[in-house]
Amino acid sequence: MLEICDLHKSFGKVVALDGVDLKVSKGETVVIMGPSGCGKSTLIRCINRLTEPDSGKILLCGQDVMQLEGKELQQLRRNVGFVFQQFNLIGRLTVLENVIFHLVLDGMDRAEAREKGLSVLAKVGLETAEGRRPHELSGGQQQRVGIARALVTNPEIMLWDEPTASLDPILVGEVLEVMEELVRSTATTMVIVTHEVSFARKVAERIVFMDKGRVVEEGEPREVFEHPRSEIGKLYRKLLSH
Amino acid sequence: MLVFFRDGFYKDLILLLVITVVIGAVFAQGIAWAIDAYFGDTLDGMIGEYGEYDVILHIREEAKEAALRELERIGNESFPGYKLNQTLTIAGQANFFFGLPEVYRNKEVLESITSYFGAVPGINGYTLMVEPSVLIRGVHPAVREGLTEQIQDLSGVRFVVKDGVNLVVVLTSDDLISQATHQIEEILENYQIVELRFPMGFEVDTQEVGEQALAVLRSQGWAQDAFYQNVTSAQYGEDLDAFLKTLVEMRDFLGSYASQVRIVPKSGVQLGVGELVVLEEDLVIEVTGVYGELVEGMIVEGAPTQSTDKIVLKGYRYLGEGERGEFVGDVEIENERYRLAYAVDESLRLLAELEELSVQASTAVDNADAVLTTFQEALMQLEVLQVQMRQLNEGITGGDSKSSGEEFLVTLLLNGLFQTLAQGVIHTGEESLDSLQHLDIEEMRKSLTGISQQISNVQEIDVAAIMEQIGFVRDTLPNLNDAEIGQSIRLINTYLGGQVIPGERVQLLVQGSKLDEKAVEVLFQEELQNPYLHTYSTSVGMVTPDARGEVFRILKEVRSIVAGLLSIIFTVIVLVLDHATIFSTLKYIQRSARTGPKTWLNRLNPLYLFGGMLGSVILTSVYYLSRSRIPYLNWSSVLFIGFVLGVMIVTWAERFSPVDSMELMAGQCLGLSNVQIMREVVVPPSRPGLLNLLNRFKQQF
Repeated sequence: MLEICDLHKSFGKVVALDGVDLKVSKGETVVIMGPSGCGKSTLIRCINRLTEPDSGKILLCGQDVMQLEGKELQQLRRNVGFVFQQFNLIGRLTVLENVIFHLVLDGMDRAEAREKGLSVLAKVGLETAEGRRPHELSGGQQQRVGIARALVTNPEIMLWDEPTASLDPILVGEVLEVMEELVRSTATTMVIVTHEVSFARKVAERIVFMDKGRVVEEGEPREVFEHPRSEIGKLYRKLLSH
Repeated sequence: MLVFFRDGFYKDLILLLVITVVIGAVFAQGIAWAIDAYFGDTLDGMIGEYGEYDVILHIREEAKEAALRELERIGNESFPGYKLNQTLTIAGQANFFFGLPEVYRNKEVLESITSYFGAVPGINGYTLMVEPSVLIRGVHPAVREGLTEQIQDLSGVRFVVKDGVNLVVVLTSDDLISQATHQIEEILENYQIVELRFPMGFEVDTQEVGEQALAVLRSQGWAQDAFYQNVTSAQYGEDLDAFLKTLVEMRDFLGSYASQVRIVPKSGVQLGVGELVVLEEDLVIEVTGVYGELVEGMIVEGAPTQSTDKIVLKGYRYLGEGERGEFVGDVEIENERYRLAYAVDESLRLLAELEELSVQASTAVDNADAVLTTFQEALMQLEVLQVQMRQLNEGITGGDSKSSGEEFLVTLLLNGLFQTLAQGVIHTGEESLDSLQHLDIEEMRKSLTGISQQISNVQEIDVAAIMEQIGFVRDTLPNLNDAEIGQSIRLINTYLGGQVIPGERVQLLVQGSKLDEKAVEVLFQEELQNPYLHTYSTSVGMVTPDARGEVFRILKEVRSIVAGLLSIIFTVIVLVLDHATIFSTLKYIQRSARTGPKTWLNRLNPLYLFGGMLGSVILTSVYYLSRSRIPYLNWSSVLFIGFVLGVMIVTWAERFSPVDSMELMAGQCLGLSNVQIMREVVVPPSRPGLLNLLNRFKQQF
């Protein structure tokens, strides 16, 4: 489904990705973990080229992402659901509009899009908030709108960029619940960047540890948390034991 | 970066640019036009519409009410249908605009303005403002007539008016102003005044030098076809010359009117011009001239005793503040002023006596005439008496002898007595009568008549009138004392000393050719053997727009400048409100783009070039379409300013119009095209501007 080979990305003199290799199978749920600044978010953004990699190769659904331009790239992005850490909702649009506006712009009938949008909002428990603006919602609700927006196109793969990092602990639960439910109820391939160890252990089929722009360890959750080989893995094990 | 525009946003950008430029031009031109219209209307209110008035009459402010009445009277009587408007009063001078009816708008009337308005109370001159017209200033008198004739023959010229040293060329239509101006300038180009100036102190016969200079020019063979003429004239600076001459005369008059002071210096004493000498009566003398032993001075302080005689006082060197120094000599003061006053008084006395004398002389002549008449009668009586005496004598000597003895004795006695008496009387009387009869009584009477006539003539003289006038002359003599006269002379001398009195100059008119003044100067210096003369070249007149034309030209210039400034302001506004949003978006995209190797070309950010070009295009187009014109700003400068503005806005784009990168990223992530991102995500929340306004027609959410 997704194959990343020797991916590099620098921001000036700061090396964010230093030859990352990663493979994700179709329907697989992969959780990427690592300390802040290790390149997790950069990696996930490079997958749909929100951030342009400097070099390397990304194959997604058989397409060389690095070679795509214009409409092809836009088409690829439509097939990739992306949930942002900061929700990234359009402030001037209502909840429903935020969920469906890209469908309409892509040519879908408004009524059909609305129906679809409402159904997705129901999935995330926000069917009653369709006419509200993002700023009228709590952080958890905003993130659920973001999830609904990503889901509404039935993407082949969903990328989660620390979806709970901006939420206060009380609100984290409601988002994680929605995420768990989605993982269980859909066969969508998911790549999740998170610090939520328990959540990762619960939902991940594979855990990838990153450090200093590199993948330092990967494996099934039980394996990497119980017998970590990398320093990062060991730190996470300690965290779990506490 | 170009990829960003490729999927359709370039159309939005082009549409935005076109509408921006059109609106910008309309905005700049519109505001400038409004300003122009406002000032134009204000101006019209003040000085009327074009061609409405012909003359500005300058009237002293205090007389403007009376002047208004008089102008209305003149208008009604001489120019029925006239227009009159009192406008601004500037520096104590009211200005009346007088419009002549069309029938009176002709050369004759306009050249006779003074005869019509010269007696208006408080008039202080006038200015012609006939429109449409072209004004030629400072026309040299030598060519005035010739120029007038030539210009009169130009097409579109209605007539030419002489207005002092100016010529006002009145045209048939204002469309012809530029054409007429060009033609008149061509005519003026044909003339040149070459002026030879001599430094002050050089006294030359300007006419003679003028002729010599002409000969030099002709002998050089320069411009064979050229026509040279000596037009040396004293017209320029005549007033100043007259004034200076008057001052000199006044100074001389005052000098002779003042007391004449001569100092006889004591042996060994040296006095210099300007030194002060104090006299016994606290008079202070200033030495005005030293001529060997003779020292002259004038009284600058105090007044001498009034005397017609020479006063001699002792003089001491004046040390200031009333302090006397050494004795310098005797000072003789003679006052012609007092002598004049004395003589006048004596004349008055003489005239009074003369009148009385003539009356008495007349009486005396009358008496003499009466005496003569009496004398003549007495003479006649004497002649009768002489005859009677002669008869008596003859009677006695040749009488009758036949009388008695007593009668004979008495007769003898009487005869002897009477004979003796008669002979004595006769003898004496005859001598006296002879001499009396030789007196020319008639001649004496004629003389008396002549004297009487002359006395009558004297009596007919109006002695009273002469006395009154002499008294008037006496009273009108300056009532100045010596100190005041001295100070006045000093003041005049100070002024004359500081006055720049122009040197002699010679003017040559050159027609049909242009002479190089510097080359001519060298030639004249050599040929006229005067290395100090300088040569200057001037035109015979200068074409200038008429006063109102000038005002309108300035207004037009102001409009162009305002439009230019507004173009710049408008460009800044649209760059900030509209294009800063695009620049911010492009900057975001640049940041997320792949970073290549750092070549020098990569370091040149095309976004700045794009911004600069955009600024140049907007400013230059708006500037051009709004007919802007800022002095010293050519097209390349405008392009440059636009470029700089564009670069500046790119630099600070995110401050002027920040883009929500989260929303923008969301748009990208959802697979929106660039044009969709701009229309639905970036532009709607951006600053209100044309981009935002135009986007509303395309945005779906």
